[in-house]
Parts: sequence; C-alpha cells; structure tokens
Amino acid sequence: MNALARHRRLTAIWSSRPGWKGLFSTVNHNDVGLMFLVTAFFYFFVAGVLAMLIRAQLATPHSAFAGPEIYNQIFTMHGTLMMFLFAIPAIEGMAIYLLPKMLGTRDLAYPRLGAYGYWCYFFGGAMLLVSLLLGIAPDGGWFMYPPLTGKVYSPGINTDFWLLGITFVEISAISAAVEFTVSILRYRAPGMSLSKMPIFAWYMLVTSLMILTGFPPLILGSILLELERTFGLPFFQVELGGDSLLWQHLFWLFGHPEVYIIFLPAAGVVSTILPVMASTTLLGYRYVVAAAVALAILSFGLWVHHMFTTGIPHMGLAFFSAASTLVAVPTSVQVFAWIGTLWKGRPQLRLPMLHILGFFATFVIGGLTGVMVAVVPFDWQVHDTAFVTAHLHYVLFGGFVFPLLAALYYWLPLATGRARFFRLGEVAFALIFIGFHVTFLAMHFAGLMGQRRRISTYSPEDGWTAINLISSIGGFILAFGLVMVLIEVVLHLVVRHRAPRNLWRAGTLEWATAMLPPAYNFASLPEVDDREPLRADPDLPARLARGEGYLGEPNGMMRETLAVDVASGTPEHHVIYPGNTHLPIVLAAVTGLFFLALLLKVLWVAPLAMIGVAVLAWRWVWVLGRREDAGAVSVGCGLSLPTIAEVDRPPGWWGSVFLLVADATLFGSLLFGYAFLWTIAPGWPPPEWIAPSAIVVALAGVGVALSIIGPFFATRANAGGSNPAVGLALSLAGSAAIAAALVAMLMMAPSPTGHAYGATLLVLGGYGILHAIVVALMAAFLIARVRAGYTSPRRRAEIAILPVWGAYGGGIAVVILLAAYLPVALS
Amino acid sequence: MMDLLRILVAPVVWLAAFSAVYGLQGVLCAAPPEGTVAGLPMARVLLALSFAAALLVQVALLVLLLSRRFGASRGFVRTVSLGGGLVGVVATVWTLFPVLALPLCQ
Ligand code: HEM
Ligand SMILES: [Cu+2]
Repeated sequence: MNALARHRRLTAIWSSRPGWKGLFSTVNHNDVGLMFLVTAFFYFFVAGVLAMLIRAQLATPHSAFAGPEIYNQIFTMHGTLMMFLFAIPAIEGMAIYLLPKMLGTRDLAYPRLGAYGYWCYFFGGAMLLVSLLLGIAPDGGWFMYPPLTGKVYSPGINTDFWLLGITFVEISAISAAVEFTVSILRYRAPGMSLSKMPIFAWYMLVTSLMILTGFPPLILGSILLELERTFGLPFFQVELGGDSLLWQHLFWLFGHPEVYIIFLPAAGVVSTILPVMASTTLLGYRYVVAAAVALAILSFGLWVHHMFTTGIPHMGLAFFSAASTLVAVPTSVQVFAWIGTLWKGRPQLRLPMLHILGFFATFVIGGLTGVMVAVVPFDWQVHDTAFVTAHLHYVLFGGFVFPLLAALYYWLPLATGRARFFRLGEVAFALIFIGFHVTFLAMHFAGLMGQRRRISTYSPEDGWTAINLISSIGGFILAFGLVMVLIEVVLHLVVRHRAPRNLWRAGTLEWATAMLPPAYNFASLPEVDDREPLRADPDLPARLARGEGYLGEPNGMMRETLAVDVASGTPEHHVIYPGNTHLPIVLAAVTGLFFLALLLKVLWVAPLAMIGVAVLAWRWVWVLGRREDAGAVSVGCGLSLPTIAEVDRPPGWWGSVFLLVADATLFGSLLFGYAFLWTIAPGWPPPEWIAPSAIVVALAGVGVALSIIGPFFATRANAGGSNPAVGLALSLAGSAAIAAALVAMLMMAPSPTGHAYGATLLVLGGYGILHAIVVALMAAFLIARVRAGYTSPRRRAEIAILPVWGAYGGGIAVVILLAAYLPVALS
Repeated sequence: MMDLLRILVAPVVWLAAFSAVYGLQGVLCAAPPEGTVAGLPMARVLLALSFAAALLVQVALLVLLLSRRFGASRGFVRTVSLGGGLVGVVATVWTLFPVLALPLCQ
C-alpha cells in the first residue's frame, strides 16, 4: 500500500460524515477541538461586547446608558461568560485539538465523551445566552454570593439560570479533565516516557488534575444553593442554621484554583512556543514541571484570601496570607526558566513572540499587584474596589489572553495549512497591548481613589471622571485590536496562501502531521526517544506517511491506536475506538432536559430525564466490546499486543478512578460543609437530632460487605472460567441494601426544611442512594453482558471496573452513617 | 502511577495538613479547651503540636524521597519529586508558623 492509498483508507475510516450534518455525529478530536474553540471565541466576542457596554456606562458620571438592574446583569454575565464559557472551554478545545498530535497518537482516550462534553457546553451556554437576550440574566456578580442570591433577595429566575447553566457546562470540564488525564498517562507514542513528554502535556496533566479537584466544590455549592432556592433547604440562611459564608468557602475553594486552571495551560503554551521562537530548547524542563506541580497544589491553599474582609480570626488570615505570597515562588521559577531560555537562544521577534512579550509584561505586573492584595491590611483597603478588578484583568488577560493569541498565531497554520498573507497582526498587537494597559492601569488608580467595583454610576464630585474616561478610551482601543485579530483570522481562511511544512521549525510531533492534519493524525505511529522527535529526525513525517511506524496497515474499518505504560511509554494494549454516532448529542440533550426541568420548575420531568440518561448510558457502553476472544493483535513493527477488552486495567478502569477522584472531592466538600456549619454557623445546635437506629446500621453493614465481596467473587469466577453472575447478583443485592438503609435513615431524620442540619443529612443520604443506584445499574448491566456472551476469562475488562465502584459506594455509605450517627451517639 | 505518587505526595500532604490545622483552629475557637501547659493556653499547645507533627511528616517524606528504597531511580522523576518534597517542607514552615505567633481567636 503506498502513502496515498493509505491516506485514503485511513481517511475513510476516521472521517466524520460528510457535510455540516457530520458535526452532530462526529467524535473525532480534530472536529470536537475546533468546535470547542469556535464556540469559545464566540463567547469571547459576546463577553467582550458586554465589557464595552460596561466601559461605555462608566465613561462618564451619571451615565444614563443602563440602569442598575441591567448593569448588574451586564457585569455578571461579562465575568461569567469570560470565565466559564470562554476561558475554560478555549483551553479544552486547544488541548483536545493538540494533545493527540503532540503525543503522537490518533485520538484521545474517550472520543464520545469529548463530543458529549462539547454538547453539554453548547446547550448549557445556550441557556445562559437565552437569559441574556431575554433580559433575565443572572445579576448577582460572577461569584453569586448569598444571601443576595437567595430566594428572598433574588426571587426571579435569573440566579437559577446561573446555578443550573454553569453546572451543566461544568460537565464538559469534568469530562474533558478525565479524558485528558487518561490520554496523557496512557495514550502516547511508543517510547514516550514521562520525561520525554512535550511540556504542554505536563501542564495539561496538572491542569486536568486541578479541574478534577477544583470544580467539585463549585458544583456542590451550586447544587446546595439551588436546593435552597427550589425546595427551601436552608444551607445559607442564618436563621435556620445555615451560613452564607459556607458559599464563600465553597466558591473560592473552586475559584482560586480556577485562576491557575486558566493560567497553567497558558504557561504551557508559553513554554512550548518560546523555545521555538528562540531556536532552542526549554531551559530546566524538570524544574518547570516541578514548579507547575507545586503551583497547582499550593493554589488549593489560598482560597480564604478572597475572604479577608469577612471577620475571620487573624491567625486564619495569616495562614492564607502566607500561602498567597508563597505561590509567587514557583511562578518565578517558571518566569526565570523562560528568561533563561531566551538568553540561551536566538530570539526572533515574530508575531507569536510579540504576544508572549505582552504576556510577560502584563502578567508580571498582575503578579506583583497580587502579592500586594495578599497582604491583609492592604486588601482591607482595596477590597471590592476597581483595584481588584484591574488586578484580576492583569492576571487573566495577561496570563491567559496574550498566550492564547500567541497560540492562535502559532498553530493556525497547522490547522489550516495556510500562512498569513496580510500583516494586520502586528498592528493588532500594538493596539491590544496599549489599549489593555491604558484601560486597566487607569482602573488601579480609580480603585485607589476609592471607586468601588460593580457600581453602575458615580457623580462628578467623586473625582473619578477623567480617570474613567481614559480607561474607557483604552477599552475601545483594545476592542479595536481584538476585532483586527478576528478580521485577520477570517482573511486567513479566505486567502489561499500555502504555508510551508513545519514553518516555525518546531520539534514536537504535531508538526509531523500533514498541514492541515488528516482525521487520523498519523498514518503510522512513531517510536519516540527524544523530547523533540522532529528535531532529532526531520525525515520522520515522510517515514510515518509511508507506514513505517506502528499500525501502518489499516485493519478493516477499525479506528486503531495504542495504549502505553504510564512511566516508560512501552506499548501495552491495542485500542479500537468507537466511530461516529449521535449518542453524545442525544445524551447531552436529555441531560439538558433535566436541567431545563429544574429551571422551569416542571419538576416531574426531571426524574424522567434521569431515567433517559440512564437508558442512554446503558446503550453507550453496550455498543462496545465483542463476543469472541481476539488474542494478541499484530500492531506492526513485529509487535503483538492484547486488545483493551482482554486486560485487567482497561481505559474504563482508569477513567473511573479519575472520575471518582472528582466525585470524592465533591463528597469531601460536602463533609467540610457539614463540619463548617456545625462549628461556625450561629444557629446550632439544631432543635432536634436524628435518632440512630441499629437496624439501619445492620442493613447498611450487610450492603457494604456485599458490594465489596460481590465484585470480588465475580472477577474471581470469571477468571476461573465459571459464571460471574452470582457475584454480580450479590453486588446488586448489596447496593439495594445500602439504598434501603439510607432511605430508612432519612425517614428518621429531622425535617430538611426546618434546619440546615436536616438539610445536610438529606443531601448526604441522597448522595449515598444515588451511588447505590449507579452501582446497581452497573451490576445489572454486567449480568446482561454476561448473558449476551460479551465476557470470557480473557475478555475480563468490563467486570474489572465494578470493584472500584462497589468499593466507593460501600465506602461512602460507611462515612455517611458515621457522619449522621456518631456525633449524636457521642453526645 | 508510583512515579505520579512520588511527585505529588509531599505537596498534597502539605495541603491536607494546612487545611487540617486551619480546621483545628476553627474548632478550638468554637469550643475552647480547658487548661494550660507551662502557662500557655491549651489551644495554643495543640496548634503548636500539630504544626510540629506536620513538619515532622514533611521531613520524613523528604527523607523517604531521598532514600534508595522509596525514592525514584530515574533522573527526571527524582528531580521533580525531590522538588516536591522541598516545597512540602518550605510550605509547611512558611504557612503554619502563624500558630506560634498570632493571637488565637481574634
Ligand atoms: C476584553 C477586554 C476586557 C475588558 C475591557 C474588561 C472590562 C471589565 C470591567 C470594566 C469590569 C468591571 C465591572 C464592574 O466592576 O463594574 C470587568 C469585570 C470582570 N471581568 Fe473583564 N474585561 C475584559 C476581559 C476579561 C477577560 C478576558 C476575563 C477573564 C478571562 C474577564 C473577567 C472579568 C471578571 C471575572 C470580572 C468581575 C465581574 C464581577 O464583578 O462579577 N474580563 N471587566
Ligand atoms: Cu485567589
């Protein structure tokens, strides 16, 4: 087979269906990544227009442009769209598109999950957009503090749009994070050990782990606040044992890491592009990785610095002030690595480099004002003033938008196969850079002069007139620059000006694909033994196209790739991906129906939607697998590997583990909330305690034992060639017992609407019951699979996943009962 | 997975200790324990002890990461995991020293 014939065969196998309708069923990362990016930039545009409205309003005193009700919606939606619908999805899109190419493989670990994430983002974003168009958008500020956002002060539907829409969108962040983690750990080119991974992959690995542990507190907070608003469960109402500070903790437990979730991928972009622009390699790769890891974890210990003015004791403030100054250290390690890289190379001032310099200048200033507000007395002065908004834009625009624009100019030729023809970019950069600094430098001073944030108007006597006008003029210069970028991208798409292959002379593998990359990325997979394989072997692309790597011979209509050992990158399994399907969009739509039902308060639809989700999820997994053993499959280069159905740790196992990391963080946050209310909230102790029951404990004990023993027996039996159904049935019974025990526990608990204590017990119990149902569904699914002949002693992968979930479901049941009964029993 | 653990363990343990001490401080202020030790209030003593314990754990982790048996053998993972170990120690000292110096509950 020659290179052209191979290309045709592989394209037939990997492409989405023809025409625009293909978008609805595509699962290929090339499509999904671009869909994410286009949608994210659309929201950047919308949020940018809102920013212009803000600056128009603030340009003059006594502005009559928008009244406070509308202004509140405008700034809330500006912040919300920028953070949740632009920044995070843009990162996801970029990583979905680039990671498989950089890692030298053909797709991410779970193609359908990527598409599902996109559609959740699409529908969830649409919900928020509709609210904006109808003038009923969220208006409580992007961090939605209760009691302002509680039912009393925000009776309208505005807040519900935020809580439900954002939670819906966050499904895409969690699913992308699971997908990235498993892909980076297991789906790389053969030979690519951890130390040979492209630096961007390291940053994305760290970021993904942060998403898995950073987003759950926000999701929990949103669920609790929505429960309070819909059903009157008083988590944040002080009179009934709640505490509005709980929201602030949960929000910033998410919110601070969020800033680094946005910054780290951008730093990954800088660490990738900067060495190329300087024709050298990154200085101190290991130290940069260590710094990124340190930064990620330290950033989880900072959240209270957003709450310095809430009356927390001094010692608590000192902890978080110290931790906040500490993060400057790993950040500086990275900055010095970048400066050193420039030093050792020969930097050229090409367009991506300009944006990187813009990033440097801006981000360093943002970091310094960050250290300023980390100092408690200073923060007491500037909290909630324009100084803070100025600081956050230096960090977010400097730390994210500039690198993103660098990435845009750097990778656009790869994605389109074309080069820039007109030279608008340089002018655009100048406008953006000048416009940005005029806008936000001015806002620092406005803040120091006492201008509060989120005010819709001010009077001439305040003395802020000139400074605001300057800021607004800067804002419009900035907008002009951004529009020029848009125009340039459009021109780029219209003018056919072919780009030479690997035009930046980069060393990473994405430049070894054809420009524009085919749906399958690589005609055959490379064997890697250098961090920059393309620099080590410039002939690599031609050899891969000739099929000289792994999997060079297309096999039937199968989408094939390899999974490797985490540390060494030795090939381990042969992977077959599912093909195009409408399941992701349908599942996302049904998921959306659930959120819509809650939003419009047609509550009876919600359980129906849940059932729909369960049915579709069943179908989702059912279509995988096969009914006969495959044995070892030849993957080329003289190597044969087992398929993923015939291993102990299939991709589904890895995905489950990381999904459960997120799940456990949510549960941990709930326990934190319980403990927080108990110790801090003024309305405690509650008027009535739960009555511990020996029967409940016994029933749960049996359930927990069965849900651990059952899967164990099932795996054992299957491996020994006998029927695993008995073990599976035990597991099913175990889940049923747990669910029954927890229902019984809740029936004996105080009313959930009377006091936050009862409300928390309800959520704890509900969480356990939900998991029991999920585990039961899994066991039932496996019983059906066994009967349909999908398992065998060799095809053991599916059954291998149940023990993980069984243990988790059992474990949380124990913790829930302890949390409910132990304090009562002790006192 | 083992390499990932080596890289992450020390800073994650710092995070756990940091949150735990913060939580402990909240509990001690909500329900102040009785008694004194060498003239110091019990709450202060408990906090200082937990600081010492956290520091001890970090030092132990660093020693483990340096050791032949548990430390990484590959150069790359070794550097990165030792970096993590160092971050754990420094972060513990820097973020928890307020338990010795600041007023307890004001
Ligand atoms: C395109 C240029 C931008 C301009 C001119 C701009 C302007 C502004 C202004 C003037 C405010 C203050 C509103 C007030 O306090 O009354 C604001 C708030 C905010 N902006 Fe931007 N912004 C821009 C880009 C961004 C980006 C890229 C992000 C994040 C990725 C962002 C995130 C936020 C957030 C989170 C708030 C706080 C909203 C709130 O108080 O609830 N902005 N922006
Ligand atoms: Cu922060």
